[in-house]
Amino acid sequence: MSLPEFRLLRPHTVDEAIAVLAQHAGNIRVLAGGTDLIPSMRQKLFEPEYVLDLRGIAELRGVRVRDLGRGTPLLAKEARNGAPTSEVEIGALTPLSAIERSSYLCEHYPVLTEAAATVASPVIRNMGTIGGNICLDTRCLWYNQSLAWRKGCGFCIKKDGDLCHVAPGGSKCWAAFSGDTPPALLCLNAEIEIAGVNGTRRMPLREFYPGDGINYRKLPANELVTRVFLPAESAGYRGIYRKLRVRGSIDYPLAAVAVAMKRTSSGNGVGQVVEARIAITAVNPAPTLLMGVSELLAGKNIDETLAEAVGGIAARTAKPLTTSALTPEYRREMIRVFTKRAVLAAWN
Amino acid sequence: MSNFSIIGKRTALIDAAEKTTGSGKYTDDLSVSGMLIGKILHSRYPHARIRSIDTSRAEKLDGVVAVAIGKDAPNPFGILPVGHDEHALALDKVRYVGDNVACVVATSEAVAEKALELINVDYEVLPAYFDPEESMKAQADFIHENKRGNLEKDYHHIFGDPEKGFAESDQIAEARFIAGEVTHAAMEPHSTLASFELDPHTGKTGRLTVWSSTQVPYYLQHKLSLVLEMPMQQIRVIKPLVGGGFGGKSEVIPLEIIAAVAARKAKAPVKITYTREEVFWAHRGRPRTIIDLKTGVRNDGRITAVKARVVQDGGAYCSYGVVTILYSGALLGALYDIPNIQYDGYRVLTNKPACGAMRGHGTVNVRFAFESQLDELAGTIGMDPAEIRQRNLLKPPCITVNGLRVQSYGLPACIEKTVERSGWKRRKGKLPRGRGLGIACSHYVSGAANSIIRSDMPHSTVNIKIDRDGGVVVYTGASEIGQGSDTMVAQIAAEALGCSLSRVHVIAADTDLTPIDIGSYSSRVTFMNGNATLRAANEVKKLIAAAAAKKMNCTPEDLIFREDVVKKRNAQVAGEAAHAAQESPTVSGRVEGQILRGSLQQKRKEEGPKESMSFEEAVVAAIDFHGALTGTGSYAPPPEARGGKHKGGGVGPSPAYSYSAQVAEVGVDEETGEVTVHKVWAAHDCGRALNPVSVEGQIIGSVWMGMGQALTEEMVWKDGMLMNPGLLEYRSPSSIESPDVEPIIVESIDPEGPFGAKECSEGSLAATIPAIANAIYDAVGVRLHESPFTPERVLAALRAKKKEKTLNLTEGVDPTSPKRFREHGGSLCFKGKGPQRHALDPAHTHAPASAGGAD
Repeated sequence: MSLPEFRLLRPHTVDEAIAVLAQHAGNIRVLAGGTDLIPSMRQKLFEPEYVLDLRGIAELRGVRVRDLGRGTPLLAKEARNGAPTSEVEIGALTPLSAIERSSYLCEHYPVLTEAAATVASPVIRNMGTIGGNICLDTRCLWYNQSLAWRKGCGFCIKKDGDLCHVAPGGSKCWAAFSGDTPPALLCLNAEIEIAGVNGTRRMPLREFYPGDGINYRKLPANELVTRVFLPAESAGYRGIYRKLRVRGSIDYPLAAVAVAMKRTSSGNGVGQVVEARIAITAVNPAPTLLMGVSELLAGKNIDETLAEAVGGIAARTAKPLTTSALTPEYRREMIRVFTKRAVLAAWN
Repeated sequence: MSNFSIIGKRTALIDAAEKTTGSGKYTDDLSVSGMLIGKILHSRYPHARIRSIDTSRAEKLDGVVAVAIGKDAPNPFGILPVGHDEHALALDKVRYVGDNVACVVATSEAVAEKALELINVDYEVLPAYFDPEESMKAQADFIHENKRGNLEKDYHHIFGDPEKGFAESDQIAEARFIAGEVTHAAMEPHSTLASFELDPHTGKTGRLTVWSSTQVPYYLQHKLSLVLEMPMQQIRVIKPLVGGGFGGKSEVIPLEIIAAVAARKAKAPVKITYTREEVFWAHRGRPRTIIDLKTGVRNDGRITAVKARVVQDGGAYCSYGVVTILYSGALLGALYDIPNIQYDGYRVLTNKPACGAMRGHGTVNVRFAFESQLDELAGTIGMDPAEIRQRNLLKPPCITVNGLRVQSYGLPACIEKTVERSGWKRRKGKLPRGRGLGIACSHYVSGAANSIIRSDMPHSTVNIKIDRDGGVVVYTGASEIGQGSDTMVAQIAAEALGCSLSRVHVIAADTDLTPIDIGSYSSRVTFMNGNATLRAANEVKKLIAAAAAKKMNCTPEDLIFREDVVKKRNAQVAGEAAHAAQESPTVSGRVEGQILRGSLQQKRKEEGPKESMSFEEAVVAAIDFHGALTGTGSYAPPPEARGGKHKGGGVGPSPAYSYSAQVAEVGVDEETGEVTVHKVWAAHDCGRALNPVSVEGQIIGSVWMGMGQALTEEMVWKDGMLMNPGLLEYRSPSSIESPDVEPIIVESIDPEGPFGAKECSEGSLAATIPAIANAIYDAVGVRLHESPFTPERVLAALRAKKKEKTLNLTEGVDPTSPKRFREHGGSLCFKGKGPQRHALDPAHTHAPASAGGAD
């Protein structure tokens, strides 16, 4: 399968990138790591006239912390070991492998490093970026196929067609959001920075995903996700990421859950849950924070029954359909089991 | 124990460096001047008549040189003489989604792809058949007009007296097993480059050269000759490096013919490389198989009778199908001593890509059923599963009830060693909950005793030429496809000639240069090409020995060839041998060789007759004496090994069988149904391990591939569309899933194999699937009758056993007792209506007259 012809544009600054993006809005695709875009272009899911390659923008690479009262952010590896006193900034082009290997993130935001470490395979994590993972296109077996396949089958509502093979009769696209890091970021109350012609703005990540398979993110065609911010308050939360997949590598999640949990600290160890946030992915068109979890768990000691109850919330929130391998019933059941296990693991 | 200097040593493959450094050339790496790119238009429909094809718009596109269609090469072909049912490009009908309709030849891939969109094909859509049991009931609209009821072939064999056997048994088990469809997933996609010589005056096409990723250059040459109506001598097939075959390249794949047809039409060299999706469409993998199996045993563990009904979902063309369905029955024999066998096999046509030969051809799915049922029966009679296998051993040399000759038989040692190494007796049934051990056995042919083209020609012929400086060139038709055949040939030649491995240069699989070998399939190369190599080497050796004996004043029988020295028996020449060995690998080049010869002659004159000569000296003497130093050897299986006279009796017989026993240790997560294979102890009787590291690699690879079929790999269909035509969704295990495999080599020294060697690349695979199934039973007490054992199937079985709230995890099918095929594999379940592309399909219209893929 050949790549469609396109013009490759390679800016060196965010401003240049924004200008180019605004100029060709609607006829341009953004390439960060390219691990998802390039195969999709070969399948003719996208045939843009221009591809905007961001990889030359050095300022968007790296994890930075404002170290204890100093003004200038430092790269995480140069930061002192203490917990962050203000937010941590991750450039959108930071490779997933760099996040996975960041000892600073691992110490203070373990749910994120654990999630990043499960993305695809080591080679892909060297190329793929956190920004790309946040903006990842939704996936469906009837959509992520070659042009010849889709033509033979009948085009679907997400691309070139007017029916949904997964939920016939409906007009909504149910393609599943299948990124691994966004549920972890949701648990950390992360915010993202979006840059456009009118400057930059910040948005809580939880507002970024409207829950539709086609318009799966709130990102106008002339804007870019440039940075991710992890609040200092979320540092030190225990973190667990559990991912259902057929193979231990390469695969996208078929259902996955991220847990961030804080417990009271007393003189002789840790006590009850202070706060817990749980998000699921790959079972809905958006990564989704579970509602009512913190209320349920706050002030309590977690046991099997309580964890089971949280699993129930996850299973009720999940709407798996035949967008991927393994039956929807199984995936819903696994969201229950994996959530229960993740809650217990975060507690222990 | 052995007195060999080359074989039996762990030897790096001779092509390892070029492969690992990337300098080696595979077909897609090649180009010739003026080469164009071909792209194939595939059918969108699973079954349709072609009313017309309009290529005019495509031909007008800038950069398009030619568009070939079916009429450009109407002669049918197929790998089996009884199965010539394919055309390079569809003549009047398409029979599966992905069938070949037209080929655009253009200056680039992108232009060719654009041109495909401009071809208009007017189809008349026909009812399609996706379920073999439904397909067999068809009354009209047959997939091939001459195959009534869409039945490619059926066989009904009775050996012994099965009814009497069942009557004599104490326990009978009877069940249906279903094995999902799998494909080879070789790393290298198929690729072919075809180039005609053009007469500069007339522009007429002359000789054709084809470079192709094939396991069977000779068959390709033969089929090209049939389709193109050219004499074989006008066609040269060259096999560059091949990145894995596993049977997927063991027949003529449409692109190989299409490239040549397109090159002829375009009057320019054309290269076609399949996309991964096209590789899945070309397929030729292992068919989905229904096995209704009945086994009777006595309380002492002896098997009294076996009855098997096997239905294979063969896809739209014959391919190797007739052979596959015969292997499924024939290789019920030759593993254990089974006195009474009834076999009913049905190879059925369906509107899906053709199934063909895949590693363990025909035996794997039936072996899964048989070994699972034997395990169950062992439980019923309260016998250890390893012991019940030991109670049913053959007593070779013997001929089985279905006419298979067994000589070397390492199965007892295989069972013994796996049981011992795995701590079976100590640990079986005593592992913590969720952990289990399972045992299973398997076997495979070392090449078919009867070739698919009926003739008395040798199956392998090898030529050897030795130059004056002692360089040995072996010309073999054997196809190196990554399995190590070039290295095997070099090792055998070097061992027989007593020279170092570095002297041997192998020229392989080029039909202009190398004599006929029928190909790398059915695990025949070591046994057959190895024997031919050994014979060729011995012939040359005789010439050298005659000349050397003259120089050394002795008889040829007095000479020993070893480590680059030819010496008299019992001669003391340790120092000279070391000297010669040191010098020999660097001696090369014509001029150097001549100088060397001059000095050697001088030296010899001075010294007179001696106790030993270096290999070069002996070679020079022989060339001086005989004029040229060449030898040839060939191999044809002996008549005694060619099997019974019954219909279909030609498939199954082999000059020798390999044997395997495996113990798998698995863990099952009872809450998720996920199965983890922790360790596999795999013993394989390969006769003699010519290259132990290669044998171990094959054993480990077989276990790994078997594990893929057991746990994760499955082709999933919806309305004839393959839902997972890529390596992301068709899930071969990654390195993370690869268990610790302990390969155990068992050497039974076959009386007819080269140095006693037999096959080692396929036989192990079939044991892995039932070993895992039996281990799952040991771990959690559920017996899965449907493969692969995906987590939802395992969980569904566990929940049913515990009588927990039933969740419909597997679309209403109980994986411990599957009743019917589903159109899709079951890892995915489709509740939606799907694309509804085929308005005439009975599945959609519920027309009572015809039958189709009712899902």
